[in-house]
Amino acid sequence: MDAGSSAARPSFTVVEGDIYTDWESVYRDNVVGIYQLVFRRVGNPPDAEDLAAEVLMHTLRTLRFPAPVHEVRSYLVKTARTVLADHWRKHYGAPPTVLDADRAAREPGLEYAPSEAASERALRILELLPDRFRRVLELRFLRGYSVREVAAEMNITAGNAKVLQHRALRRAAELGEVPPA
Amino acid sequence: MRGRPQERVAAYVDRMLSRRRPQRFKATAEELEAIAAAAALATARPGADLPHPGFVEQLGRRLRAELDPPRTGAGWLSRRTLLQAAGASAAAAVVGAVADHAIVAELSARESTALVPTQGSWRPVAAVEQLPAGEVMPVDTGSMKVLVVNEGGRIHALSGACTHLGCTLQPEAQTGRITCPCHRTAFSLGGQVVEHRLAQSPGALPAVESRIREGQIEVFVV
Repeated sequence: MDAGSSAARPSFTVVEGDIYTDWESVYRDNVVGIYQLVFRRVGNPPDAEDLAAEVLMHTLRTLRFPAPVHEVRSYLVKTARTVLADHWRKHYGAPPTVLDADRAAREPGLEYAPSEAASERALRILELLPDRFRRVLELRFLRGYSVREVAAEMNITAGNAKVLQHRALRRAAELGEVPPA
Repeated sequence: MRGRPQERVAAYVDRMLSRRRPQRFKATAEELEAIAAAAALATARPGADLPHPGFVEQLGRRLRAELDPPRTGAGWLSRRTLLQAAGASAAAAVVGAVADHAIVAELSARESTALVPTQGSWRPVAAVEQLPAGEVMPVDTGSMKVLVVNEGGRIHALSGACTHLGCTLQPEAQTGRITCPCHRTAFSLGGQVVEHRLAQSPGALPAVESRIREGQIEVFVV
């Protein structure tokens, strides 16, 4: 069999599309998804980078190849759940009830979803909020206003803007679309 | 961190929205729910949850540094090691070099047979451009060990098990040969025995069927 001339295609080493044969394939396929998964829980890049790195390092150190893609994904997500639970417990003193395994299993968000889907879900939550709650969160999260700027825009004190933001976030959590920590 | 819940959550959100690490504090369940909701809303702007390319690259380098050396040392060589593999001409030169102190087999002493699994299927293993001339890429399917070889531009596949007693063969980067760690038998990139220390020469390596489809090398394996 001669190599001949073949059109260049993106290289990959996944056998039959459902088996990983090396760590680099796992990393290439999953690094973005795992980062997004943890970012949607912590909301900031420094924590998301540390946690995604911890998830991937731990998983790739222990994987043996060949490994079915669905098992690798499942293992990555389980590891992410554990790493996130440790994060909340270690840095924010999260009580065990918040990290309840059954509750975690029902939570949306611990799956791969494109950036647009996460964005749409966030916008849908905003739409469901009462006017003043929606307003404060839109100004903060979509338009990047500071608390002081929100207060000026809504003609309230900065203290009241913080209270309004806090209540709006709790209502957003109650809507059931937003998973708790 | 002190203050009322709205102050502490506001401080978290402030740092989160400026894409900095939030301060740590002992949070109540309500505060945790609020900051989790805030984190989910931080993705409202499309693309906010995409990693920085520098992070992806750096973490890849960290992993490579940690995960590649042990596998190279384990004997079933990584592709990187094999990048240094010599071509078929170098292998031929080595045959002469070892002739003085080893039994050199007649290259065509035994015919190799093809290894065609009854319930096999074609599986892509690499892009053609991943396997330059002189390189050998080990592939482990779990049931079969296969060596995919680029022998001076001719891509083909061989069984990765020694024909003597089945030890796992290792591509040898320095000499461009495929060697058996158990009894020092060496095979050429074509699968022929070029050196052995056994009473009788083992057989050549069975060929494994291979083909190229749309730029991908495929092997027929189980």
